[in-house]
Amino acid sequence: MDMPEKSVPSSQDTAFKVVDCDVHPYVKDGISSVFPYMPDAWKQRFLRKRATVGAEARSLKYLHPNGQVNREDARPPCGGVSGSDPHFLVQDLLVKNRIEHAVLNCLQTGALCSTLAGTDESIVLCAAFNDYLIDQWLKVDNRLKFAMSVPSQDPQAAAAEIRRIGKHPQIVAISLPLLNILMGNRYWWPIYEAAQEMQLPILVHVTGPDSIFYGPPIAAGGIPDSYVERYVTLNQAGESSVNSLVFSGVFEKFPNLKVIFVEYGFLWLLPLLWRMDRTWRQLRHEVPWVKKSPVEYVHKHIRFSTQPIDEPEDPKDLDKLIDLMGYDQLCFSTDYPHWDNDMPGQSLRGLPKAERQKIFWGNALTTFRMR
Amino acid sequence: MAEKKQHTVGKTTDFPVGKFKIIDIGGREIGIAQLKNGEFRAVRNVCPHKGAPVCKGPIVGTHLPSAVGELIYGRDGEVLACPWHGFEFDLLTGDELIQSGKPTKLLMFPVAVENDNVVVTL
Repeated sequence: MDMPEKSVPSSQDTAFKVVDCDVHPYVKDGISSVFPYMPDAWKQRFLRKRATVGAEARSLKYLHPNGQVNREDARPPCGGVSGSDPHFLVQDLLVKNRIEHAVLNCLQTGALCSTLAGTDESIVLCAAFNDYLIDQWLKVDNRLKFAMSVPSQDPQAAAAEIRRIGKHPQIVAISLPLLNILMGNRYWWPIYEAAQEMQLPILVHVTGPDSIFYGPPIAAGGIPDSYVERYVTLNQAGESSVNSLVFSGVFEKFPNLKVIFVEYGFLWLLPLLWRMDRTWRQLRHEVPWVKKSPVEYVHKHIRFSTQPIDEPEDPKDLDKLIDLMGYDQLCFSTDYPHWDNDMPGQSLRGLPKAERQKIFWGNALTTFRMR
Repeated sequence: MAEKKQHTVGKTTDFPVGKFKIIDIGGREIGIAQLKNGEFRAVRNVCPHKGAPVCKGPIVGTHLPSAVGELIYGRDGEVLACPWHGFEFDLLTGDELIQSGKPTKLLMFPVAVENDNVVVTL
């Protein structure tokens, strides 16, 4: 494969700029860390439940075969879980790789909101985790940007959370923990309305319990049997959601809404768009609010993060497919500190320079609310 | 190309409004129909998409572009829907209703009414 001998900065060219669209902060002591950010009555409830750290989002067969999802080598020197120390993360990820903006997305909040917490619990926990991260992380470094989470089991409460903190200058997106309700469904519309109002894109990412529990999206065809099987099929919810967003008319209803699919892959997009366009040409009259080709809506409103980049035997095959897709759809992401992360210096090196820079920088600036 | 000829295909009353009658003209299948506005159309019975016998599809109206969740019916009697893949064609012009991308077009022949006879030129 196309690998250098050792890790190198994103480019020897100092003008090369990088936005990382997918970085996972870990709140080190889970729920007990965010007690100061919630009403005392709720703190007492979680204490009495002994729900101080948080619940495990995966059952036995979906535990990572190597024991943890996080990179062992990304542990902070002071100890603790990888991704739990913002100061170390800034050095280990941003400084080493010359990343100018890193979009933080907390999957602990995501898993609690999509599945692990009850509806009322999720509303309280979501606000507490958001406030903790604003207070304990965003103040550390202005390069740290934040995809604030929302309690998706209650769309009205989610919209209220967006309006409560959405004006924070380092908040650049809304991380929406998906349920097993397709994204075009009107259930989600109050959230889209608030997102559009705040000029924030909707960011979606698997939250952990996907394909495991009832609640989040489930892969098509049945329940996978291992971590490997499950991992390979996680992209399916992305494909279904793109389709649903377009044909339900979400982008006609919310003409300024943007959506970024993070870690769902992207090579499936080209055949999906061909299929959507063909079927629309055949049966447009069933969804007459879809006034343009689905391809146009997707190009205008939807973006995809790059990681985990697929690895054909000949890397040039990947470059050809990206060229066919066009260079406007992709935003670079690492997924630090997870085991399957991609670092800038080793990623998409065969692309033409200007187009590669769009994927690593320009596309993110026009997708996230960067000021 | 052979020189074009005029073919009398029947009386106007042979062609009810809103339905294609398919006839053979020199080995070519041609659908003849009278529209609601009294005009006649002569259409090659081959869909430009994938070769279906397009004139066997219904002459319909359709749902016009509308707001989300709303249906507006219009163009009644002016749209031919292919019986295979459902491509919709404007019988006033022959154009595919969807004009984005690379739209297809029906092959239509001149048709006139002379002394109550329907005359197709091809």
